[in-house]
Parts: sequence; C-alpha cells; structure tokens
Amino acid sequence: MARMSSALFYQDPRAAIDWLQKAFGFELTMLLEDADGGVAHSQLSFGDSMVMIGTEWTEDHKSPKSIGGKNTQTVSIQIDDDIDAHYARARAAGAEIHAEPATQFYGDRTYRCRDPEGHIWNVSQTVEVVSREEAEAASGLKITGWV
Amino acid sequence: MTSKVFVALRVKATPERAFEAFVGEIGMWWKPNPLFQTTPRAPGLLAFEPGEGGRLTETLANGKVFEIGRITAWEPPHRLEFSWRQANFPPELKTQVEVRFEAVGDETRVSIEHRGFDQVPLQSAARHGFPDQALLMRLAEYWQAQLAALRDTAT
Repeated sequence: MARMSSALFYQDPRAAIDWLQKAFGFELTMLLEDADGGVAHSQLSFGDSMVMIGTEWTEDHKSPKSIGGKNTQTVSIQIDDDIDAHYARARAAGAEIHAEPATQFYGDRTYRCRDPEGHIWNVSQTVEVVSREEAEAASGLKITGWV
Repeated sequence: MTSKVFVALRVKATPERAFEAFVGEIGMWWKPNPLFQTTPRAPGLLAFEPGEGGRLTETLANGKVFEIGRITAWEPPHRLEFSWRQANFPPELKTQVEVRFEAVGDETRVSIEHRGFDQVPLQSAARHGFPDQALLMRLAEYWQAQLAALRDTAT
C-alpha cells in the first residue's frame, strides 16, 4: 500500500518519544535500541499515520535545536474532535504556543506550537463545512481541487 | 547493555482475552518466517505450558518437540516474559521476550520487547549476514506480523 510519512531528527530522541506521547497522544509502535541504549529507529502512530523519530544521524539531518530553531517543514496533525482539549494537553506538556486555536476561512480550527527541540507542529480539526465559493470569497484566493 | 526491539499495537479486546489468546492460542495465530527459523525443519505447532517455568515448545511433523524457551515471568493478564532460543543460535545464547498487556479504554495495547538479539554472532546463520540495525528492523517487522496475527485471533 503506497503512503507517505515523515522522519524527525532530535538531539534527544528518547525524550522526544516520551514528550510526543504525552503532549499529542501519539503511541509508540516501534523502537529499536542498539547495545548502548541508543535509539536506532522508532515509529509513533496516530490514527492511520505515523512519524519516525530518530537522531541527528548525519551532518544533513539536524534538530531545529542545533540550527537556531529553523524548520524546513512542519508536520500537520488532523484530529476528529475537541481541539481545545488537545491544545490544553500540549500546552500543559510544555509546548511553546505559536498560534492560539483559531477557526480558519477553510473551516478548520487550528493551532501551532513548537516541541522542546523546536520542531513546529500544526494541529487542525474541521469544525465547519465551507464551500469552495465561500472559501474563495473569504480569502480572495482562486482555489482549485476543493471537493 | 543489550539491544532492544519494541513493537506495540492495539487489540479490540480486554487484557484478559488478549493474554489468553497470546498464551493459549499461539498455535493458531503464530506466523512462521524463514528469516527467524526456530528449527531447520518445516515449521511445527507452537504451544505454551502455562505458569512460571513452563516451556514454549514447537512440535514438529515428525513428533519431535523443540524447546524455544521457558516462561520467566507469569503475571496474567498484564505481563509475560520468556526466553527465546532458535536452534541455529550458539549453545549458550538466550534472548528474552517480554509481552505486556495494557488496557486503553475498551482496547488493549499489546507490546513486545525482544532483548539481546544483537548477541547473535556475526557469522551465525541466524543473522543472514545482516548488520545490527537491519537485523533488528527485520526482527521488529517479524514481531509486528505476529502481533497483527494475534489481534485477528483475539478479536
């Protein structure tokens, strides 16, 4: 079955695995440890998706913490219900909030935060059904591919 | 220190039911895999003898019984631990498998931790020439397939 997933790099992947479970409700589904207790590979699942959490395993794989907080991509989490509770849980776990929960023109309520090593995560829940015409009118964008 | 392979998944059943299926019905759900051959013969039927010290055996078509390991912790329905030895391991080598059953809502999170597989020597047939990380990844996939089969039997 074809699919996509993301791998994220951390200075301390073990702490990241714990934090992501606590903050976002991810569930550890695979962890490979070498004989020194180092994290060789891990997978955390959420719904039907997963992310891989690993070390800075080459010079080209860096945590934001090692490069001044810069990110080159973000991972989006789509949840089914109660985004405000999700937000409260992440905040309580120590997430640095970048954008408070707000309902967007396309009908999703979203918030954005950083994890302890600076990875930016975007969390969304669809709260309103918005037509393409309504979204175009609200945003001024021409929208293609809106079902 | 020793290497660890951890895998987990959710089963739509109580911990009691998942534990019972794991131990009592392993002959039904177990999926043999040529990468992790327990014996050089055609795969046989696996069975646990319940309780601490009980054996995990594989009964072959010719009637011979191979002991894969022994139960070292028996804490139904939360935890089970047993030793794991393939026929192609060096004589002194034993690895450990720990299985946990944790209620999450009306489901059970079943996790398996297999420790010590990196101690299979580099030249051993049990390694298929794999370096540590590839070996541990294959082992993780092996246990994931077992857990998926357990899930289908337990529910």
